Amino acid sequence: MTEAGRDLRLDFFRGLALFCIFVDHLPDNMLAQFTLQSVMFGDAAEVFILISGYTAGMVYGRAMERQGFLIAAVRVGHRLWQLYVAHVFLFVVFMAMMAYTVEVLNSSLYAEESQAADFLKDPGVAVVKALTLQFQPAYMDILPLYIVLLAALPFALTGFRFWPRVVLVASLALWLAAQIDSRIALSAYPGPDRVWAFNPFGWQALFFVGAWLGWRGTRGALPWLDHRWLFRLAAGFALVAFVIRFSWTLHGLYYPIPALASGKLLWPFLSKEDLGLLRFASVLALALLVARLVAPRARFLAGRVAWPFVICGRHSLHIFCLGILLAVMGHLVLNESFGRVLMQLVVSAVGVGIMTAVAALMDWFTAAKAGGGDRVAERASLSGGE
Amino acid sequence: MKVAPSAPHYAIALIVAATLTLSSAPRAAVGLEPACPTPEGFAGFEAPVPKTAKALAAGSEIVIVTLGGASSLGSAAGGPSLSWPSRLASALAARFPAARVKVVNLAMPRQTAREAADRLAREVLPLKPMLVIWETGTMEAVRGTGVDDFRDTVQAGIDELRAAGIEVALMNAQFSRDADPMIHFAPYLAAVRELADANDVPVFHRYGLMRHWDESGVLDLRTRESEKRRRLAARLYDCLGHAMADFVARGAGAVKPPGAVEPRP
Repeated sequence: MTEAGRDLRLDFFRGLALFCIFVDHLPDNMLAQFTLQSVMFGDAAEVFILISGYTAGMVYGRAMERQGFLIAAVRVGHRLWQLYVAHVFLFVVFMAMMAYTVEVLNSSLYAEESQAADFLKDPGVAVVKALTLQFQPAYMDILPLYIVLLAALPFALTGFRFWPRVVLVASLALWLAAQIDSRIALSAYPGPDRVWAFNPFGWQALFFVGAWLGWRGTRGALPWLDHRWLFRLAAGFALVAFVIRFSWTLHGLYYPIPALASGKLLWPFLSKEDLGLLRFASVLALALLVARLVAPRARFLAGRVAWPFVICGRHSLHIFCLGILLAVMGHLVLNESFGRVLMQLVVSAVGVGIMTAVAALMDWFTAAKAGGGDRVAERASLSGGE
Repeated sequence: MKVAPSAPHYAIALIVAATLTLSSAPRAAVGLEPACPTPEGFAGFEAPVPKTAKALAAGSEIVIVTLGGASSLGSAAGGPSLSWPSRLASALAARFPAARVKVVNLAMPRQTAREAADRLAREVLPLKPMLVIWETGTMEAVRGTGVDDFRDTVQAGIDELRAAGIEVALMNAQFSRDADPMIHFAPYLAAVRELADANDVPVFHRYGLMRHWDESGVLDLRTRESEKRRRLAARLYDCLGHAMADFVARGAGAVKPPGAVEPRP
């Protein structure tokens, strides 16, 4: 894809998801009440995985068509390596944070309970389990999911080529099975009953639906996606989801405001672990609305307001890692400065500013390194497109 | 909590609101240090546990069972006699001398929700409590237990207690600045709130309350030195016990605490 043909919506919404992930990760952040998670069932994780699936399907699907399975698979492998290194980097950040925190915690009111965190007893095992993706403390849960999903992509893409329906039905069937049977999960460290924070057997459906849409999009439009009834259905669902979910946010902030539809009947459909039906449907509905209402290169997306989102989304892996690092540092700042609302806003804003500045630097550097011409476009599209 | 409380609730609420505001001052004399003030809006208008409140006011014999972890056992303060359940018992005894209140503290260090739920039939129901206060969600956050699993476990426990006609109140985790990057409390705090909303069961929002005390300078939760920390814990549990007494007794406004000034109309 050339720079002129780039779908800025992907960059923009991935950037939005990255900002939300950062803001949500700051402790007790007031602003987190108003991120994606307060207006839809689900949160930035769904947006991130759907867009990642879509772009991966598009980029590697095209590579597979032009260069064959082997080359495409090696390119996926290269990307997997980058993701894995990023995961190890985050683990080092986590260990550093822990080194700082452990002493403090052991002399706090939490001493008794925090010592029960089994990885503290045996940090050596934690290192090994982090390398095998089984140790997933706070912040370290989404990259392992992304890694296993991307590893399966070459096979899914091959499947799309010959039996797209079979692959999609199989993927959805596996998702359904994960909803029904809680044993369909991957075990995690530590502890006997700990599982992956994001169940790959549930979440794969979102990733591969995205990958299929991205792959299919390169070979012409899907007319049924333009149906009016589908649009109305999505709009209706998104509206209902917004009203219900936002009422929960308001209820949390000011108790007398009722939480609509807060019954336990909805719980199985809202599972974050397994990607419950309402979360799945919510992100697909929003994606459809965006696809229909926003042009790929809408003026707004090329404008100044959208710019920070777009460039951060373009360098998503680096900015994601940076966001986690900043969330950890932001925690230290908030901890020392009595994290009231004003300070939370300042830390959030500074963090977003740093993420934007680094993304801008990377953008500039990528362009400068390539020295203009076609290679700029090709590189830029690859760095963000995967 | 349900949106529309029934009509009697409103009536009680108004009376309670009127009496509590007038009678809150003398309570400060109970502890050695003044009780920690609860923030505006911490107390709702409805009585959280109306049956228990009524029984307190009527002066009946009442058993309250508390479940939870180390923070409910008073470990950090030096022993169960300084735990919040113990302070709750003395606060209620002082306010309702006629009622014979017995608080049975079944907290155990590192007790998970599942372990607590497993004890309900064997150890809790035979005590025939009127109220069970269940402090939960801490070990799950520390160990990263699946949130869905945690919610289902507590839900089953609530069902079991309610089927036996027992009132239930939930209490969430302790607030801690230091633990946050390592331990993610947010999903478990949210799960406790969802459980409360779905079952119309009250939550004693310990996390929010401790945070308020920390931020407003009432308690310095970052105290490190061991002797100071022990005193801090004792004071914290005392404050929690008193706040819990207010919470439980809300709606029992007909009885004045001893020595309370009779409000003039």
